Amino acid sequence: MGVEHSTPGLLLLLIAFLGPVIVLIRRAAAGKSIFIRRIPGVDAVNEAVGRAAELGRPISFTTGLTSVSPVLYACLGVLSYVAYRAARFRSRLLVPQYNPEAMAIVENAVRDSYREARRISAFDPQSIMFLSESQFAFASGYMGLMHREKVGSAFLFGYFAAESLILAEAGQQVGAMQVAASVSPEQVPFFICTADYTLIGEELYASSAYLSREPVQLGSLAGQDVAKLIFVILIIAGVLIATWNSVFPDAQIINIEAILRYQWVELFSFFGISGDGS
Amino acid sequence: MKEQGFRGRLIRLVTFLAGVYFFLEFLLPKSVLEAAGVADLHDEISNGFIVVGTMAFGLGIINLFRVHGTRVVFRRRDWLYSAALLSGLVLMMTVTGQDWLNSLSVTERNRECRHLGKFAEVIVEDSTNGREDVPPRTYRINKLHEAVEVTIKNISLEHEKAIKTLSQSLEEVSLVRLQELTKELNEAILLTDGITADDLAADEQILLLGRRITEVGVIFEKILRIQYEHSTGNKLYLFFFEGLFVSLGSAMFSLLGVYIASAAYRAFRIRSVESLLMMLAAVVVMLGQISFYEYVSEDLPNIRQWLLEVPNTAAFRAIKIGAMIAGLVMAFRMWFSIESESFSSRRGQ
Repeated sequence: MGVEHSTPGLLLLLIAFLGPVIVLIRRAAAGKSIFIRRIPGVDAVNEAVGRAAELGRPISFTTGLTSVSPVLYACLGVLSYVAYRAARFRSRLLVPQYNPEAMAIVENAVRDSYREARRISAFDPQSIMFLSESQFAFASGYMGLMHREKVGSAFLFGYFAAESLILAEAGQQVGAMQVAASVSPEQVPFFICTADYTLIGEELYASSAYLSREPVQLGSLAGQDVAKLIFVILIIAGVLIATWNSVFPDAQIINIEAILRYQWVELFSFFGISGDGS
Repeated sequence: MKEQGFRGRLIRLVTFLAGVYFFLEFLLPKSVLEAAGVADLHDEISNGFIVVGTMAFGLGIINLFRVHGTRVVFRRRDWLYSAALLSGLVLMMTVTGQDWLNSLSVTERNRECRHLGKFAEVIVEDSTNGREDVPPRTYRINKLHEAVEVTIKNISLEHEKAIKTLSQSLEEVSLVRLQELTKELNEAILLTDGITADDLAADEQILLLGRRITEVGVIFEKILRIQYEHSTGNKLYLFFFEGLFVSLGSAMFSLLGVYIASAAYRAFRIRSVESLLMMLAAVVVMLGQISFYEYVSEDLPNIRQWLLEVPNTAAFRAIKIGAMIAGLVMAFRMWFSIESESFSSRRGQ
């Protein structure tokens, strides 16, 4: 829609999306059980960590080209879990980094997980390594790392671009079990072809909740489903209205886009308030 | 993650307030923001966030030195690769730094000339407006004339020096260009010199002096740019950046061609109904793309287009809508610092 500033319709939509999330987080925090369907890719996280431990080979976890953003925080949930498990199983965890800002946050999350697993002495800050901020230099560094360290399991979570296949193929070449998750739809086919398990789009966000079973995350995950339901209802309503308007041009119904585009100024003038809100 | 007293509360508060600001900035209509005076400050506030973000850039370099420096100092496994990496880093930083300084010096004289040109305009503007809180007009004109003379003298000296060094190292095309620019510069200097201090009583002459000195600066910058492009510093930079770095990046990118083939082989092995469907879709799309599709079917390009525009776009949009809603919820949790407690919770294990 390309909006620079919100409209009253968008505010309503925001409330409709976030309202159920708040309600369900509160319900989850109050101890009520919330059903989350199985995601095979997330189940594979435990399998991959266990496999690396059995083989005595390191685990690698990369957040790709992710900068500090909600996607990074979604990845951190899984990374913390993997780091915790790796610490418990005494596996080496390698976390190659692309973005220096994200690296500082990632290092803290991994350190916290080792501390929580009571293995802080095993935490090696050098395992969180900055490779490069250049896309292909990063890919080259990652490939070298996979081959040198003979990684047993590789996790590719976050935002990826053209380098996704290079990263995933490097894992394939060393026989690593790979779990990938990307919010960029363009890269999903590459991961499906190359990784053992692929989480698609929002499953990346869901994985953290699924693994931790933490009430806030479970509640917000269930809330997201309600938000999606609202979205589906809006799509169906939009299709029906558009169909109606084309079949009965003389009896037009106001369409959803027009409601969403309704400006604040129009709302103000409806209530007899001037354009500057005075 | 356990709260760390005051520090934790402060982080939550700053996060919340920053979130409130950007939320309101997006939510409120422009007219309200302008009335509140926020619209003018928005760019500065946004720049402030960028400045905070840039502080983290040094972290990458520190980490590189920490990880690879330790490996080199203690002669750990593959320390030679680390030494090569650190040498490359230091070398590239030195070469780029030197190149940056050289490029700055190219524009310095032009900037000086532009300022003089602007000064000439300001003198005329102030006297037209009758400003009294500035030095007298004649004093300013004399100062302008003196400054122009000094600048022209410096430019002539620097130009002479540049010509001596450049004429020996330039190839024919650049040499011809240099000679043309030298001719242009000499003419511009002559014209500028032609305006004496006595001529500057008239506003037009002051403005003319300003325009001419600006022109001298522009021409001289072009000559310096030729000198800069042929300097050892710039050649070294181009060798390392375009000759090595960009070429190596392209080599990495070209690996994709090979990897796509091997990944496609794995993906297109028909092991289930889904992979059969994927294989069929891929065959149709690929055949529809090539020029001799008509030997198979005239409709292939249309089917290919339909596959890409309808089922493919529908799937893309579904993924995007799901990811966007999840991102929105995640941002909401970050805003209210609900997320900070989540990473370390292991209740599910």
